[in-house]
Amino acid sequence: MSIVLSNVNKIYQSGEVNVHALKEASIEIPNKKIVAILGPSGSGKSTLLNVIGGIDRHDSGSVQVDDHQLDKMKDKDLTEYRRHSLGFIFQQYNLIPTLTVEENVEVGRQLSQNPLDMKEILEKVGMWDKKDKFPHQLSGGEQQRVAIARALIKNPRVLLCDEPTGALDEETGKNILKLLQFVNETYGTTVCIITHNNGIGEMAHKVIRMKSGEITEHFYNEAPVDPEKVNWV
Amino acid sequence: MILRKSILRHIKEKKFQYFGVIVLLLISIMLFVSMSMAISTLDTRNQQFKESYHQEDFHFIVSESIHQDQLSTWEQNFEIDLEKRSYTDVDYKSEDTTLRVFSLTEDINKPYISEGDLPNKQGEIAVSPPFAKAHDISVGDTVEVNNQNLRVTGFMYLPDYIYILERVSDLVNDPKSFGLAITGEDTLTNLSSRSVSQVIGQGNSEEEVASFKDHVVDNYSLLRWMNADENPRIEFVESEIESSEAVITTLPLFILVLSVMMVLMILKRQLEMQRKEIGTLMALGYRKKELMRHYLSHAGVIGIIGSILGLLAGAGLSIPITNLYSEYYNLPSISYFDWDMMVLVIGFIVPNVVLLIMTYFVIRKPLKQSPLDLLSPKDVSKGKKSMLERLPFFKKGSFISRFRLRLLVRKKTRAVYIFIGVMFSTILLIFGFVTYNSMDDIVETTYKKIFTYDYGVYYNKLQQGDLEEGASPFTNAEIQVQQLNDKEDISIDQKVSIYGFEPGTDQIQLLNDEEHLLNDKAESGFVVSQPLASVLGLELGDELTIGNAYNDKTITKEVKGVANVYIGFSVYFQLNEVNSFLGYPEGVYTAKWTNVEPTESEQILYVENKKDAIENFESTSQLTRYSVMGIAGFAFLIGVIVLTLITNLIVEENSPSISLLKVMGYKDNEISKMVLNVFTPIVLFSYVVSVPIAYYSIDGMMTSLVEQTGFSLPVNLSWFMIVLGFVIIMVTYFVSLWISKRKLKNVSLQEALKKQQD
Repeated sequence: MSIVLSNVNKIYQSGEVNVHALKEASIEIPNKKIVAILGPSGSGKSTLLNVIGGIDRHDSGSVQVDDHQLDKMKDKDLTEYRRHSLGFIFQQYNLIPTLTVEENVEVGRQLSQNPLDMKEILEKVGMWDKKDKFPHQLSGGEQQRVAIARALIKNPRVLLCDEPTGALDEETGKNILKLLQFVNETYGTTVCIITHNNGIGEMAHKVIRMKSGEITEHFYNEAPVDPEKVNWV
Repeated sequence: MILRKSILRHIKEKKFQYFGVIVLLLISIMLFVSMSMAISTLDTRNQQFKESYHQEDFHFIVSESIHQDQLSTWEQNFEIDLEKRSYTDVDYKSEDTTLRVFSLTEDINKPYISEGDLPNKQGEIAVSPPFAKAHDISVGDTVEVNNQNLRVTGFMYLPDYIYILERVSDLVNDPKSFGLAITGEDTLTNLSSRSVSQVIGQGNSEEEVASFKDHVVDNYSLLRWMNADENPRIEFVESEIESSEAVITTLPLFILVLSVMMVLMILKRQLEMQRKEIGTLMALGYRKKELMRHYLSHAGVIGIIGSILGLLAGAGLSIPITNLYSEYYNLPSISYFDWDMMVLVIGFIVPNVVLLIMTYFVIRKPLKQSPLDLLSPKDVSKGKKSMLERLPFFKKGSFISRFRLRLLVRKKTRAVYIFIGVMFSTILLIFGFVTYNSMDDIVETTYKKIFTYDYGVYYNKLQQGDLEEGASPFTNAEIQVQQLNDKEDISIDQKVSIYGFEPGTDQIQLLNDEEHLLNDKAESGFVVSQPLASVLGLELGDELTIGNAYNDKTITKEVKGVANVYIGFSVYFQLNEVNSFLGYPEGVYTAKWTNVEPTESEQILYVENKKDAIENFESTSQLTRYSVMGIAGFAFLIGVIVLTLITNLIVEENSPSISLLKVMGYKDNEISKMVLNVFTPIVLFSYVVSVPIAYYSIDGMMTSLVEQTGFSLPVNLSWFMIVLGFVIIMVTYFVSLWISKRKLKNVSLQEALKKQQD
């Protein structure tokens, strides 16, 4: 799945001040690769992810996903796009507290026409043993694994991860990164990670740096490292 | 959908809130279904009894004796069915208890035997079940009636005495002091020589009956003619069935509205709490309609559980209610339980549809937002002050009182709900109190202050001559109201009577609201009873034209007073003019009021014993007392549920602040005062406003029921009732606070910290 952004602009109105969240952003997300979008808070990386994910609309420019242009899609079409093509992972996991691990993953599975096997996914994320636990009985890292399983079971072509390790310690964070790398290698899923942790860029195939809504740098990483060796910042 | 699993778990988590709204819904549906089904079964029983046992269309009594040959001739000439029936009132064991014994009939007003057999030998009788129950009589017993021993062969119901009343002017009956029996003609003759002979009949059309009545009026001295639709013993049950519709629907509808409001309040809160969850599901690709379905299911579960339990409870409860009604109205249990599908369908569909539609609008709002908006934390309140907060008194007072005022002003919707909840409970309470009190008022005003006589003696022939000392003659007859001022089109469903009396009498003291004696006013104009004034909207100075029910004579007089006679549609006027209006000779009378128990047996149609009437009232006041307790119980329960649901939500909404206050060192009691007790002024305000609203709406309701019931209940509200109602409402409020305080105590100290992290 190819995602190409051309001259994308997004302005937020905050009181009487206009905040330029994206300024002429043009970038390509390569298919089946890991892409790290790096930048400090307020740099526009979350806006970029939201625009790619079809949960926010840009003001000008174009976002091309295969043959479709997101800015021309209606809300209903964007829902179908998210339903069939994307998986979302959030910093705060956003699991449904009244559902067990397996049931939370089932929430994702039901959306897919071609879902992966429940047991396989839960085993892959190391949560099969805890499939009957509720979110409040799990650690932060475990909850994020469940969130990944929920996104992954849909068998999406793109996995959009918003600060997936933001609430985790180094060891747990690296385990999650390993899992994302494994997903990319095993299922060929494009993984798009936004993070303020510059070290994560070392494991990505492509690195995009942002500042004040602008893409300041983007390059291919010739030798991505194992997540274990990432310099945790 | 897997999300469905979260519904029951969520309900379990918030069990108190969901339990509360389910109970409200259950009460609403249970009341509707039980009352509707009971009335429907009652209607079926009444109709079947009426048709299968040939209830009379009319009966009449004339001075002359009528022979069987005469009846046959009339039957042929007027194409009607007629049958002669005799009855006599005799003492049962003591003078205080009267048994009205009828002769057996073959075609009209056939008795229904519920147990045992019809009496077919001399010395046998069958009695009415309420009388048998009150006097512990079983089938096969030998009872002493008028000093004669008779064997009870069975229990029976009479189609023309569905609502057993000794006199048609009575409101209620005490089976201990009055009952019915049937027996053979011979036994009846042996029992008493004072039997009254009446003709009962059935006609195919009103015209035939009317022309027959004209014939009787023209050729005989008619003492009484009563059509079935004027006969309270037949009509009471029918008007109860008709008038019950308002009661059946109004109260449950109010509770339904309350429960829907509570469900919406809870769901709204739930949606606010689950903003992020909804945003996540949207981001994952869930469609709006899938989420709409999911959240509607919450309301659906409440609706289905509440309505199914309500239907079951209602259907179950309808059986004892039907039996209670049937016993009250003396209807045989011809059909036991009517599965009225319409009631079940309405009881299930209406609440669920209303709930789902209203919930749809509540859910639609967050679903209109984008997933991004929902995923972001809700905008922190900008701290803008409302208009009310700018008032000067806001700046005065302690920190705690200012904190409380601010919370109150910012939780306006909750305040409105509390206001409505308290108002609902207050109206129920006041209704109970007023009804209870008005029964006492009727006894006190009508029977003690106005009717000062002890006995009303009604004759079956015109009387003339002097009476014993103290006794006062009067003439009583049925009349028709024909014109009020210029208005001619006047119709009253109930029988209107005229009392021609001597205004100087001591036996009746027509008093008005100001307790002024109106007897003298009846010399030159009409004094009317409260129910008649109420139905016709009569005011002093109105010109009222009445017609004689038996001929074409009319009389027009000014309304000079409205007496506090709360029972019956009556016009009081001076005796001589009434006699002349009725075509009677001067100086005659048809009845007398006296303080001496009548001893003469000849010519007496019936005796109205005031002591019995008062006793009847007092015995039913016990039933009213239970009803009041029931209504107060309902008011209390609904009040506790509504107030607790709201205060519970307030604790939940304010848990971060509560936690923070705890961290800072505030004690639970202090926090409770700051957060929970803020609504005390609303409760007080609502009570103060609700009392007059309740008073005027009950007054309006009583007036609208006068025409059907034939009596108007005096709506008087005493300070004692107002204070008692206040105490009950405050207890309700403090019980709900006490329940919510427990929730407040459970708010953890970490709550504040957790919210900050979120």
